[in-house]
Amino acid sequence: MTHRVILHLDLDAFFCAVSTQQRPELEGTAFAVGGRPEERGVVASCSYPARRYGIHSAMPMAQAVRLCPNLVIVPPDFPAYRAASRAVMERLRARTPLVEQLSIDEAFLDVSALPCPGREVAAAIQTEISAEQGLSCSLGVATNKLCAKIATDVAKARARSGQMPQAIWDVPPGGEAAFLAPLPVTALWGVGPKTAERLTALGMRTIGDIAAWPEDDLIRRFGQHGRSLARHAQGIDERPIQTTRVAKSISQEETFHRDRVNRTEILHVIAQQAREVSDALQRKGLSGVTVTLKVRWSDFTTLTRQTTLPQPTDTAGQITAVASKLFDTVWEGRPVRLIGVGMSGLLAAPQQPTLWESEQVQAAAAKRQQLNGALAALRARFGGDVVQRGSELLDL
Amino acid sequence: MKVSCLQENLKRGLSVVSHAVASKSTLPVLSNILLTTEGGRLRLQATNLEVGITCWIGAKVEDEGAVTIPAKLLGDFVANLPNDAVTLTLDERTQTVHLRCARSEANIKGIEADEFPSIPTVEADEPTVAIVPDVLRTAINQVAFAAASDDTRPVLAGVLIKLQGNQAIFSATDGFRLSVKTIELAEPVATAQEVIVPARALIELGRIIGDSENPVELTITPNGGQVLFHTENVDLVSRLIDGKFPDYQRIIPKQYATRAVMDRSSFLRDAKQSSVFASSSANIAKLTLEAGAEWGPGRMTLSANAAEVGDNKSDLEGQITGEGGQIALNIKFLQEALGAIDTPQIAFEMQSQAAPGVFRPVGDDSLLIIVMPMTVR
Repeated sequence: MTHRVILHLDLDAFFCAVSTQQRPELEGTAFAVGGRPEERGVVASCSYPARRYGIHSAMPMAQAVRLCPNLVIVPPDFPAYRAASRAVMERLRARTPLVEQLSIDEAFLDVSALPCPGREVAAAIQTEISAEQGLSCSLGVATNKLCAKIATDVAKARARSGQMPQAIWDVPPGGEAAFLAPLPVTALWGVGPKTAERLTALGMRTIGDIAAWPEDDLIRRFGQHGRSLARHAQGIDERPIQTTRVAKSISQEETFHRDRVNRTEILHVIAQQAREVSDALQRKGLSGVTVTLKVRWSDFTTLTRQTTLPQPTDTAGQITAVASKLFDTVWEGRPVRLIGVGMSGLLAAPQQPTLWESEQVQAAAAKRQQLNGALAALRARFGGDVVQRGSELLDL
Repeated sequence: MKVSCLQENLKRGLSVVSHAVASKSTLPVLSNILLTTEGGRLRLQATNLEVGITCWIGAKVEDEGAVTIPAKLLGDFVANLPNDAVTLTLDERTQTVHLRCARSEANIKGIEADEFPSIPTVEADEPTVAIVPDVLRTAINQVAFAAASDDTRPVLAGVLIKLQGNQAIFSATDGFRLSVKTIELAEPVATAQEVIVPARALIELGRIIGDSENPVELTITPNGGQVLFHTENVDLVSRLIDGKFPDYQRIIPKQYATRAVMDRSSFLRDAKQSSVFASSSANIAKLTLEAGAEWGPGRMTLSANAAEVGDNKSDLEGQITGEGGQIALNIKFLQEALGAIDTPQIAFEMQSQAAPGVFRPVGDDSLLIIVMPMTVR
């Protein structure tokens, strides 16, 4: 039986690697890319020497500095990261059109159709990206996405030395279950802290434990999720490479430099985020039916609240109204650290226009749409701040 | 307090006021019903602060008094009693009501009557207007469904009641459809007035005015904040919605390109069939109208197509005039519009696939429903 050859590629300490290219003096030092600690920045990426101090991404920068007082903090340069990422993805697409980009520094490739073994393709890609772009990457090779991704993690973990890992791990066809068996349950996709806790309570610590557990019982305990747990634990994953990603949700969020306690200010941010979400929806020709508000309090507890609308919408006004209402239902004056607005349940068509959009008033609507289109185009071209509505110029 | 009444009456009264009991409230007393002796009657009251309902039942009062009792508990218990005399005795000290009926008895813990919010009453000599119960209920059923079910824009969750001359005009729109019903009044109103009543309150009113024979008296408080509906045994008070109701006159189509007259029950049955498929495809159903050859009947086709499930279509003959055309409608809106019309025949008028479609009962000019079509990009 023929099997697929799937590669998972992850650029090693990507933001740091690009920053080192710009500032060679950072080479070999402990540094982190992210916001400043006094502005409550978070570590977006940290160099391998910094990792030796126990620093990891998503850690508050203030904590990172406590762990390593000499830590050099480098402000992020997203345009440079995007450019480098684009160049890497281009190289991958030159080898096969079957590339699924997962994030700025991660991708799956289906190289089943290529004549040489997966491991050789992986090595060639690694050499090319290193030689041509000066970037280090690690790859996992397997017969499916699940094992390929975990293989990359394993490859990186084995190479821990304070240097860029630049590693490859190859899971031989038929060896998927054996490869996964010794790994902790949390290495499996879809196993978060909650599920892990329940699995541990049942005595399952490794993926092998899950694979050995009766599937019927997993389904009884975990429902549909139990079925995929069982299959994944056995190393079975048939999901294809998706070359075009279908957006499932569109959202905007912002962590404040200092906690906000003023309702007007917060609602103002919500309105702005709703506008950005609406712009993105309109650019893509989508409407959403569920509005989600995300709030993080100063103590880091985070909650999300959703409202599903009777009809899909893409207008900033309606998203703002619903999100503001959700905010008022949860806010009792607590300091807010982060706020975010999102739309999900995205649909391309059909649309339910309102009666006031009917032909008699379409002239006015066409005008407004022209204005919205022009605004969205301006923002897409010059950034979100280039034009503002009068109401957004409120003194903050 | 000590009072006796018939189980049947108590059960009916509790069911009437239960519509106003707050389903989830931070104020525990709002889950209760206030029982007060009043002359030779027992007064039952409930409120969720938007709507308050009062119902009086005949009773034999031995000791005056008042108490509040959890609505669900009392309702469920009384519903399971035989139709016999029920005696309620309040222990003032513990605020516990002792209930006795035939072989059964119960003790129910209440909350003091003082804690119950006062339900506004209208102290007007003359009601603003009086409407026959059947006429009022029909108007509510034909209009309230078109109001918005969410509160994103509060005025759209209400029904606009416009009183002028000999007419009361009820209208509601959620932005996507509009229903307008005109009622002829027996006597002209003293002054023209407009109020927006929450659709939810009117729907409750429609349910509870069932057995009233005398006209329902409608009174608007002098400050315009509340409206009271009064019948012999039941009062409903609702807050009014503040705001400007959208100007709907300008969106009512003045002409049509195609007009179809169809049998209502067949049309409604076809719509129900299509909803089975449309529910899997954004609720969209297509209505195609073909005018008949000279003097012959025309044909209306209603179809739904759900890519992952399947499709259906049904043909209906009718009297179709004009150029014919196609329009895509939300099947739920179509069903509700057809459901609101009670004449045997329905007229549907359309202009283009982007303009609102109009539904009218044939032979009845008092009702108009318009629905905005969906567009497929």
